[in-house]
Amino acid sequence: MRLTANTLAHLFTLAMLLLWWGYSQIIPSYQLPGPWPVARRIAGFFTDPSDAAQLGLSLLHVTVAIGIAFVAGCVLAALAHYVWPLRMLIDNRLTPLLNAFSGIGWLFIAMLWFGLNGVTVVFAVTMILVPFTVINVRTGLQELNAELLELGRSLTRNKVRQTAKIIVPLLVPYLFAALRTSFGVSWKVVLTAELFGGNAGVGYLLNVARQEFDTETIFAIIFFILIFVAAAEIILFRPIQRRLDRRFARD
Amino acid sequence: MTKASPHILTQRLIAEGAFVLLLVIWWTGARGMPAFVLPGPEDVLKALSRFVTDPGTAYHAIVSFARVVVSVVVGMVLALALAAAVRAVPILEGIVERRILTFLNSFPSVGWAILGVVWFQISTPTVLFIQTAIVLPFCLINALAGFRQIDPELDELGRSLTRSPVRRFFKVTLPLVAPFLVAGLRVAYGIGWKISLVSELFGASSGIGYLLMRAQTVSDAATVFACCIVIVIIYGVTDHIFIKLLARRFSVNQGSQT
Repeated sequence: MRLTANTLAHLFTLAMLLLWWGYSQIIPSYQLPGPWPVARRIAGFFTDPSDAAQLGLSLLHVTVAIGIAFVAGCVLAALAHYVWPLRMLIDNRLTPLLNAFSGIGWLFIAMLWFGLNGVTVVFAVTMILVPFTVINVRTGLQELNAELLELGRSLTRNKVRQTAKIIVPLLVPYLFAALRTSFGVSWKVVLTAELFGGNAGVGYLLNVARQEFDTETIFAIIFFILIFVAAAEIILFRPIQRRLDRRFARD
Repeated sequence: MTKASPHILTQRLIAEGAFVLLLVIWWTGARGMPAFVLPGPEDVLKALSRFVTDPGTAYHAIVSFARVVVSVVVGMVLALALAAAVRAVPILEGIVERRILTFLNSFPSVGWAILGVVWFQISTPTVLFIQTAIVLPFCLINALAGFRQIDPELDELGRSLTRSPVRRFFKVTLPLVAPFLVAGLRVAYGIGWKISLVSELFGASSGIGYLLMRAQTVSDAATVFACCIVIVIIYGVTDHIFIKLLARRFSVNQGSQT
């Protein structure tokens, strides 16, 4: 049955591609370019040096934002857990506020503060990612198995050792979940951020294409991101998740 | 390690104190800066009050709210239909989970916004199309998870009590899936406010997104700030009242076995 479900899924993909191709034959290409020109345009991203450079810049924006958001999120979560006077401030004020704040809002504020450049893009994406990390890591800290912590305390009194050998390994699934979510979200929002607030990157290319009604490029960028995110999910994140699930399964 | 309870008062003092301190810093900082970089709290408050006093501004907020609600509901109904189809015809699982969900989940939101405007003209249906497309994967993930965890024994019980599939769907399946749907609605509602407002930046001539865009072009920072705060307020209040009520009514434990 599994095989047939798989076959059916492949057939579905094929049918959709055919449908797209057929529909693009009767519709003007500025509304819906066919699969073939779009595929050629995607290939162009790698062969054309200036397009490849924009791609690299987007990658840089995303990586820097994920990095900063990850560190900031971990620090905030750890502060809320270990420095009790700050707990309510972080758990009941800061996290809900960050969580409720609109991504577009951060973007527009960043545009006022920093102008149209990479700083705006990284700032906006970072601010969108921070709540995801805080919530994930904070949950992980709250779910720490008390008995294992107790065991750790009985084995060593060294706080650093306890953290490195017991707490961090127990947090791995949550840290991973935070990174996985951040990766997916960041690629989706970095386009928006670069489109409005950037002067470089794939989102900027998207803006230029939009103004020139270059639908081929618009499609190419969307499908490139789509394939990239889906491939990372399937090739990278899902296998790791499966391994983590197996390792951290309780009973 | 958790020694929260005895220090609640101190924690509260610090939490509120930090808020007041922030306001003071903002107020003093804003005095030395041009208004288009950092407007003072009083300017922002004035812009904020327009959402209550000025019917034209309030209209934009109401329009945005209605759009988010409609697109979340439409997204959830579509997700429910897809998930129910998978349950009825299990062979479709590959298509829905590995094709449709992966596709929707990886599609950049601004892509929908641009394509929506290219395909349809600037109108409310365009905005609804964009927003529904953005929130749909979040609904779908939860709907699929909900149907997957249905206890086969309860399903069996339902089959032995009635032969009407419609009755069974409403009396057994839906209540069992409800906690997941509520969780999905909550996530989708949040995404609706936080991300899908991007649809109003291109595809609309009304709504908070449109207001933001207009304020940005004339460097009206006070309105930009006010729009952000209005979103936080509307989202925070409605999420708290409406969706928490639903969540309590359909808590996960209610639907579980025993």
